[in-house]
Amino acid sequence: MSEVILEAVDIKFSYPDGTNALRKVNLEVKKGEKLAILGSNGAGKSTLFLHFNGIYRPDAGSIKYRGQDISYGKRALIELRKKVGIVFQDPDSQLFSASVWQDISFGPLNLGLGEEVVVDRVKQAMSDTETTDLQDKPTHLLSYGQKKRVSIAGVLAMEPEVIIFDEPTAWLDPRHGREFMELLEKLSQEGKTIIISTHDVDLAYSWSDRIAVMYSGELIASGEPGEVFLQPDIISRADLLLPWLLEMHRELVQKGWLPPSGPLPKTREDLFGSIAAKRERRLSVL
Amino acid sequence: MINIDTYAYSNRLKTVHPTEKFLFAMITLVVCLTSPALITPLSVLALMAAGIIIKAGIPGRFFVKLMLVPLSFLLLSVLTIAFSVSTSPAGFWLAQNIAGLTVGIRLPDLVTAVHLLIKSLGAVSCLYFLALTTPMTEIISVLSRMRTPVIITELMALIYRFIFVFMEMATTIRRAQSSRLGYVSTKSSFRSMSGLFSALFGKVFLKSRELFDTMEARGYTGEIKVLAKKYPVNLKNYLVLTALEIPLILLNLLGR
Ligand SMILES: Nc1ncnc2c1ncn2[C@@H]1O[C@H](COP(=O)(O)OP(=O)(O)OP(=O)(O)O)[C@@H](O)[C@H]1O
Ligand SMILES: [Mg+2]
Repeated sequence: MSEVILEAVDIKFSYPDGTNALRKVNLEVKKGEKLAILGSNGAGKSTLFLHFNGIYRPDAGSIKYRGQDISYGKRALIELRKKVGIVFQDPDSQLFSASVWQDISFGPLNLGLGEEVVVDRVKQAMSDTETTDLQDKPTHLLSYGQKKRVSIAGVLAMEPEVIIFDEPTAWLDPRHGREFMELLEKLSQEGKTIIISTHDVDLAYSWSDRIAVMYSGELIASGEPGEVFLQPDIISRADLLLPWLLEMHRELVQKGWLPPSGPLPKTREDLFGSIAAKRERRLSVL
Repeated sequence: MINIDTYAYSNRLKTVHPTEKFLFAMITLVVCLTSPALITPLSVLALMAAGIIIKAGIPGRFFVKLMLVPLSFLLLSVLTIAFSVSTSPAGFWLAQNIAGLTVGIRLPDLVTAVHLLIKSLGAVSCLYFLALTTPMTEIISVLSRMRTPVIITELMALIYRFIFVFMEMATTIRRAQSSRLGYVSTKSSFRSMSGLFSALFGKVFLKSRELFDTMEARGYTGEIKVLAKKYPVNLKNYLVLTALEIPLILLNLLGR
């Protein structure tokens, strides 16, 4: 659990037009962890992700995979991309084929796998993302959320060790959002390392092992969800909101319904459970 | 054109092996184009109409509309063949004398013109059959199996996909512009239109860059490898194909 699998060391990057997208980013990603990256629009999340599998090369600093600086030679990059997969924010720039089936098969075929293995993987990825029914539809007739799911399947089929999702739930309806989170849980249990970027603080808080907060090209905080969200200056600087669970918890503590020293609730069940316990105690006093 | 594409994914022949449909359309096309008599293209037209309307379940009205698209263009070119202008009235079947010149139709020219018209319509119907029953991606798979150069099939696939991406962008931009009254007057229409084009142009560059990045992220190394969908090969379809083509070919040979 504690082994560092991916690491960004003093990364600086600016786009050709002069935008300083990453000023100085240091981030460690541990093997098997669930990491959520938060930050407002333009904070540099997508740009950072593109560094993690060698699409962009930092102006200064380096990316390490399993403790070694990644090299940007053709072979080495292919090896890296087998291990680190990215699902991009905009499915329209990821789906290059008009056929769902063909698009999903693209990644695994590039790994040099045999046709039968690829067919199995494509089918598995389609059933994991509930896109099996879409396979005969052309990608241009799919809704945005459906395209997003197909683009997720395209990366799952490559079975990378580290999977990076850039705003995976942004366009999904509540049911598919929830199912996607279940899929992430399943992948995590299989030992995959998962990084997501999101604007959904509730989701980041409940789901992740660790949270990193980016602000204007810098990483301003990282740590356990409870830790990060209890730093009000970080939250306001990064224009974030408090997860409703924490806000509710704080309110309940303030009004005396919950003891101030109790553990922070991680799920709604945690919170609701603790409220019920308080009422029982009150009843027993009466 | 967009409707054609939609039908290609939803017609009743979509589960038929694309190679079978491709061969059927292409062989019939060649037979039609090489026919010496009128009877072959007429049969081809009937055959394809039956295939499209009865077999594939595409509305007859839509098919007729599609056939009318090339018809206007064909009629124009055929008329120039049928009509001739001459200084002597000899040999004309139908003629009108205008200021010393004879304008009219000679019988053999008329026959050629009608023949050409029917033949072209027959050929067009073959292409419609393919386009209406087979998704573009499948046609491309067939082409690449027939050893078409990779550069052509890859370009076809990417262009096909991005026609829709850019069309969607253009429609979205246009909708957004007109909901902000961008097209109320001629002047604003011109301004909005130029805005649309420059926005689209910028996006084309950005998108193509992004596409390259995303493909690289999935291990692209210069050749787009995809898995073609497997369709069951149906022997019966090949028999039907042979049974339909042989009489047409015989008709051609006998007519010579
Ligand atoms: N291709 C590009 N050329 C120039 N500047 C860019 C490009 N892509 C992004 N930027 C700029 O880099 C900065 C970081 O962008 P990035 O896409 O990484 O942000 P983000 O955190 O992913 O934001 P969002 O939440 O909106 O997705 C922004 O200021 C953006 O305007
Ligand atoms: Mg982004």
